Amino acid sequence: MACCDGFRYFVPLHLANDLLMTDTASSGSDDTIVRVRGLTTVLNGKTIFDSLDLDIPRGKITAIMGPSGTGKTTLLKHITGQMRGDRGEVRVDGENVPDLSREHLFRLRERVGYLFQNSALLTDFDVFENVAFPLRQHTKLPEVLIRNIVLTKLQAVGLRGAARLMPTELSGGMARRVALARAIVFDPALILYDEPFVGLDPIALNQVLKLIRTLNQTLGITSILVAHELAAVQHIADHVFLIANGKVVAQGDAATLATDGSPWTRQFFGGEADGPVPFQYPAGDYATALGFPGGSL
Amino acid sequence: MNARMDRGGVVTQSLAQIGACGLFLLTLLAAVPRSFRYFRETLRQIWFVGAMSLTIVMTCGLFVGMVLGLQLYDVLSIFGGTSATGTVVAIAIYRELGPVVTALLFAGRAGTSITAEIGLMRATDQLDAMEMMAVDPIAYVAAPRFLAGVVALPLLGVVFCAMGVFGGHLVGVTWLGIDNGTFWSNMTATVDVHKDIINGVLLKSIAFGIVVSLIAVYQGYTTPPTSEGVAYATTRTVVASSIAILALDFVLTSFLI
Amino acid sequence: MTQRRSYAVGTGLFIVLGFAALAYLATQTTSVANSRQGDSYTVETHFANVGQLKARAPVKIAGVRVGSVQAIDLVPGKEEAKVTLSIDKAHEDIPDDSVATIFTSGLLGDQYVGIQFGQSKKTLAEGGTIGFTRPAQQLEEMIGKFFGGGSAADRLGGTYKVTGHFTNVGSLQTGAAVKMSGVPIGSVDSVVIQPGHLDAFVTLAIDKNYSQIPDDSAAAVFTSGLIGSQYVAIQPGGSPEYLKDGDEMVLTQSALQLEDLIGKFLVNGSPSDNKNGAGNSGGQPDASSGKK
Repeated sequence: MACCDGFRYFVPLHLANDLLMTDTASSGSDDTIVRVRGLTTVLNGKTIFDSLDLDIPRGKITAIMGPSGTGKTTLLKHITGQMRGDRGEVRVDGENVPDLSREHLFRLRERVGYLFQNSALLTDFDVFENVAFPLRQHTKLPEVLIRNIVLTKLQAVGLRGAARLMPTELSGGMARRVALARAIVFDPALILYDEPFVGLDPIALNQVLKLIRTLNQTLGITSILVAHELAAVQHIADHVFLIANGKVVAQGDAATLATDGSPWTRQFFGGEADGPVPFQYPAGDYATALGFPGGSL
Repeated sequence: MNARMDRGGVVTQSLAQIGACGLFLLTLLAAVPRSFRYFRETLRQIWFVGAMSLTIVMTCGLFVGMVLGLQLYDVLSIFGGTSATGTVVAIAIYRELGPVVTALLFAGRAGTSITAEIGLMRATDQLDAMEMMAVDPIAYVAAPRFLAGVVALPLLGVVFCAMGVFGGHLVGVTWLGIDNGTFWSNMTATVDVHKDIINGVLLKSIAFGIVVSLIAVYQGYTTPPTSEGVAYATTRTVVASSIAILALDFVLTSFLI
Repeated sequence: MTQRRSYAVGTGLFIVLGFAALAYLATQTTSVANSRQGDSYTVETHFANVGQLKARAPVKIAGVRVGSVQAIDLVPGKEEAKVTLSIDKAHEDIPDDSVATIFTSGLLGDQYVGIQFGQSKKTLAEGGTIGFTRPAQQLEEMIGKFFGGGSAADRLGGTYKVTGHFTNVGSLQTGAAVKMSGVPIGSVDSVVIQPGHLDAFVTLAIDKNYSQIPDDSAAAVFTSGLIGSQYVAIQPGGSPEYLKDGDEMVLTQSALQLEDLIGKFLVNGSPSDNKNGAGNSGGQPDASSGKK
């Protein structure tokens, strides 16, 4: 516990995306939905991605893991075009995202669902209108059809009965399921989950877990999820990327990675406090800081 | 964020803020045509920023008019000119107090709520979520609120003025016994539609509406996504709006008079 | 959807309220405002001068408001104003030989029409005319000579001094301007009471450039503006001799006491009270009481 508090103290949340990483190239298969090549991003003087290469297979559930602040969420934002790298390409379904105009980007996003960490439901609208929002914005469907689509999606996440609740009346797990229903309202080919399990009780976590798998299996939706929950990821992911210092440091299926002998996987999956990710935030000499003239303790 | 705060002095920072605000206005204006498809949203925002501010604006207008009536009666009675009370109340309210006080109230009541609302939407990723749903948040969130402010403030200003004149009449005629006909005849003889109503109330209110709404929306939109950030942003909205209103009032007055 | 509609209705109401308020301000509180027709009858009067009388000004009988001025027009081809009065139906019993007078009820010029009853048995009817009127007194004309002051001359290339006795200098102070035809020609050197005298002894320092002032010229204490400072005005006489250093100006006109003058107006504006400059030595207020 003490160690976790320590980490939180040293790595403030809003700096989480600003730390560093390394690289391992991975060869892409033919059936790749997202292909990242040589992606380099520098934010506020910090290198987030250092020539990152990554291939995400179509129709699978892929997990991206890594220490806090390695830029996992940033990677998702690169895939959706919310952020652009300084160099390299990010191809989604063959289109290079950084090159897309705003209209093309918006068209692409209609095929990509995104589940935000804190659900990001629109507080002005009730559950029904939240799920209906993308439909109302992008289609001129008759009200009856919108109603049917929304209720179908809500039924899929088990919240049809909550259609008239306001977002503030929902628990965290429910809100996330509503957000999921909204993310799939256009039947996207790809869904990005940003920390979908954070802050959920075990029951809600299992419900979300089941939903992600069901959506993947029944609709064939490719899923990319950023998560820290090892057990959940091992349970669900077909493929895992471990990124650190701006590069992919390990990849494979969850079971293989857990038994891999590299220092990164050992620290990450073994949960050791010190390792390639140091316990100490970079600082000057300890003895000097405490006022001992020269020399170490 | 902290690093950015440290960089540069207060002056450079303020200049940078003004510059960024100006650029944001251009973005906003460019998004206005796109926001016409969200006409209902604009209407809804007029309700929130305009109609919901009516109570405070009407109450304050009434009291400002009443206190003006009282003070002017007191001072003018020295010169035996209490009959000019109506005229002076009307002119003071139309030219200065109406638009300025309404804009200050509007900044405090509606400006802060716009900033806080957009700031919270930023903090809870709602703006990003809209981006992800291929909805432009500038066109859907920022522009309607901006337009609503620009439309609502002149209307509120006019209501304020009407209440102010009513308050002045209440004190001057009903309580202090200035002749009703004198009150109105002096007022109608002096107050000019073009100079006092159009240039005074309307033009100033529209200018203030643009400035206050812009500042409120800008502060909300650029809020650091933390609860602290939202708190600071609302404070900055009030401070920046107040300064901008009073400074702009001077500039406008010097051009209009 | 019902939720949305209620917003639309509320917003609509708000906008309508705003425009209603605007219409009210623009039409009822500005010069656009027209006289409103109540349950009243109109009477016509003719005045030689209406002064500052405005439409909607009150019409009073014995100080009680009975109606308002509806319109003021110029009678074509005559130097005469036609004032239409709108009088409440409740006051229908006004004798037709009543006198309409324009009174001033305050210094800042709001005037009203007062009606003083006559003896006739017949009463005024709709469209009738009040034949006897007294016009507005022009306060400006009365105190016209007060206006038009200026600042003291300060570039004096040597001066010569003349003196004068004034019964009342008002608030004339040392350093005040001395003017001739409105042009500053010098300044007041001193204002004192000489031992054994009851009037003020004023010494004027006049620029040497203006040495050709007739020695029978008059000096008068004037006020520049209504609340302005006072100055000494020299009104040239016709004598071939000029004033020299140390001379005394015999003809002086003391300060007009504006208060005395206006006091009449504030109490009641009846022209009959307007006797020349009450108590001021030599003060000649130019009272333009029109025809009586």
